[in-house]
Amino acid sequence: MSTRRALQLVLALIAVLVLVYPLLTSGSPVYSRLGALVLLAAIGASAWNIVGGYAGQVSVGHAVFFGFGAYSAVVVYTHLEWPPIAGAPIGMALSVLLAAVIGVPTLRLSGHYFSMATIAVAELVRVLSSTSEFLGGAQGLSGPPVPRGALDLSFISATPYYYIFLIVLAGLLGLTWWIERGRMGFYLRAIKDSERAARSLGVSAGNYKLQAYMLSAAFTSLAGSLYLTMFGFVDPESGFGILISVKMVVMAALGGAGQLLGPLIGAAILVPLEELSNSLLGGKGAGLTFVVYGAIIVIIARFLPSGLLSLVERRPTAPNSAAPKSTGKPVSGHAD
Amino acid sequence: MLRISRRVLVAGAPLAVLGVADESFAQDVVKIGAVYPLSGNSASAGNYSKMAMEVGADVINNGNAELAKILPLAKGGGVPGLKGAKIELIFADNQGTPAAGQNQTLRLISEEKVAAIIGAYQSGITVTASAMAERYGIPFVTPESVASNLTERGFKWFFRVTPVAIDFAKAYSMFLKEQKAAGRKVDSVALVHENTEYGNSVSSVIAEVFAKDGLNITQKISYSANSTDVQPQVLQLKEKNPDVAIFISYTSDAILYTKTMKELNWKPAIMIADDAGFNDPSFVKTMSSLVEGLISRSAFAVGKPGTVPYIFNELFKKKADVDLDDVSARALEGFLVLADAINRAGSTEPAKIQAALKATNLPADQMVTGYDGVKFDDKGQNVLASSLITQMRGGQYVAIWPKARATADVILPYKGW
Repeated sequence: MSTRRALQLVLALIAVLVLVYPLLTSGSPVYSRLGALVLLAAIGASAWNIVGGYAGQVSVGHAVFFGFGAYSAVVVYTHLEWPPIAGAPIGMALSVLLAAVIGVPTLRLSGHYFSMATIAVAELVRVLSSTSEFLGGAQGLSGPPVPRGALDLSFISATPYYYIFLIVLAGLLGLTWWIERGRMGFYLRAIKDSERAARSLGVSAGNYKLQAYMLSAAFTSLAGSLYLTMFGFVDPESGFGILISVKMVVMAALGGAGQLLGPLIGAAILVPLEELSNSLLGGKGAGLTFVVYGAIIVIIARFLPSGLLSLVERRPTAPNSAAPKSTGKPVSGHAD
Repeated sequence: MLRISRRVLVAGAPLAVLGVADESFAQDVVKIGAVYPLSGNSASAGNYSKMAMEVGADVINNGNAELAKILPLAKGGGVPGLKGAKIELIFADNQGTPAAGQNQTLRLISEEKVAAIIGAYQSGITVTASAMAERYGIPFVTPESVASNLTERGFKWFFRVTPVAIDFAKAYSMFLKEQKAAGRKVDSVALVHENTEYGNSVSSVIAEVFAKDGLNITQKISYSANSTDVQPQVLQLKEKNPDVAIFISYTSDAILYTKTMKELNWKPAIMIADDAGFNDPSFVKTMSSLVEGLISRSAFAVGKPGTVPYIFNELFKKKADVDLDDVSARALEGFLVLADAINRAGSTEPAKIQAALKATNLPADQMVTGYDGVKFDDKGQNVLASSLITQMRGGQYVAIWPKARATADVILPYKGW
């Protein structure tokens, strides 16, 4: 009980820190921006977590939805002169549609085959986008160079971005939490542990996987639109590149895939690590950044294979590893 | 306690004023931020550009007797306009992503307090990096990004030194008109281009400029750079037999065209290749014996001994073990343009550097690259940016046009194999 109290206290403290972070870093634009970057990455990784973590369907092609979001935002600006953020709902709708189109045939595939199919789709879209004049071809498209009004969401300070991203992330995590506690959460975890067992107990596995995939796609797309409003540029590589998909997976896995706060924790470690190592070492020009970055990932993967949150979760009540009995009652103990 | 702090204040005030005044008159260093791809796909280009700029900074800081005869800034002892402040280049890795480019630009501005920024090689990254510099009001010079929309954004702090597609097209046009004046036939021109962004945009700009200049494009052939067979295209050319053929190609297709033209034994009297594939070291290595007399373009050619490009190339070779090339020479040029502006600004204040950049007027003989000089228009584009025209001679390209910077005469018709 007392450890749980302490944990709650720590969580409360972290929540307060997250809320006032921009005030603490107001003197340093770089650190202030770093906070926004962490939250943006956390939105993407948390969105991936719904299908990749909870449902255990490891998509390595989520960049396709991210790119849809980013391109929808920039396309409504380029072709209709709307504020980029107006493209967000369009991107989300298209992504949900695409997720359904991809998901129906590919979610039947299991294990690595699903991952491979998602990579294939993302790469295909990347290549197609680089030949489409409407999408700016290989050169990409830029958002408004100078803000035309408040709706363009173009700010010098990172603070407004920080709070916009924070609100979106809070909404996404709230939704994920609600799903996790509800019927769907149990079904997803059951599917993850053993799809065959879940089906035999009457869970409509295909249906729930598809729902998770579509929901995940929508929020990944929103992350893409937010990315565009902040950076103001997207080309096939920065929209649909495989590195974007991989980063979502790595962040979620590092913090703890299938756990509510796992992706956020992964992002809070990897994004600063990436930025700071690049700032400190990048200028030397030896590619040292990625050596250090990679080494740290390897070390964490070696010693904490189920993510950093497993440090906290390592209690006798955590039954997640025991696959056969993980449907039904015992899981609720875990959800507390 | 109070008394002490008061005394400190009283004593400190004049010192502080002196300190501030001191700083604005004599700086020991002036920091220039450089955002380049130092890792990732384009790392090689970025790292050579970095070395080229370091050679430039070394010449300004420590001097070079030979260059000092031509370049006012090469006398050594730092930037004269800033009382001998040394130039310090601060490099940041854009990692080949627009996001990293923008993040690093912010760091250079807010943490390193650079006076100006140079970068960022890839056009897409220049878009995001320069947008950050624009928001903070810091001059941003791009020595090499060619995307046409970069100068169409209405930015006040953005300057581009490199020539763009229209400059290449103008160079080809002028070159061909000179050949016409010299009695060679240029009545029919064929444009052969690969069908993605690069090929499409360059060919349409060439078509526009040629139409204005009265050069007849009689044939346009677009093809996919991944083709494994270009016989139909070459046969089309053979049938019409144009006087001039211009190729806009990547590497593998350039090789394919070269082989196929030999097989089908057709060659135009003047064959022009727009840089890219035909200038790729792997093309030059394997195919150069089949394209003797091929005409291409480059921003850089070594030039005659005693000229700026020649001396810089010698310095660069000592550091990097290779010659300056199209990309690294343009980076060095951009750096020298910025250094010249900072010198004339006599200040590290961004607004004064911006004003000095706007007033830039550098003559052709001070150029490392083959430009006619440097002078910016209202959009920040260098209006004197132009291209050298080169010709393949015994395995390497030599400068043949314009006359003033040529190291060899034009030899026509095209010999091929």
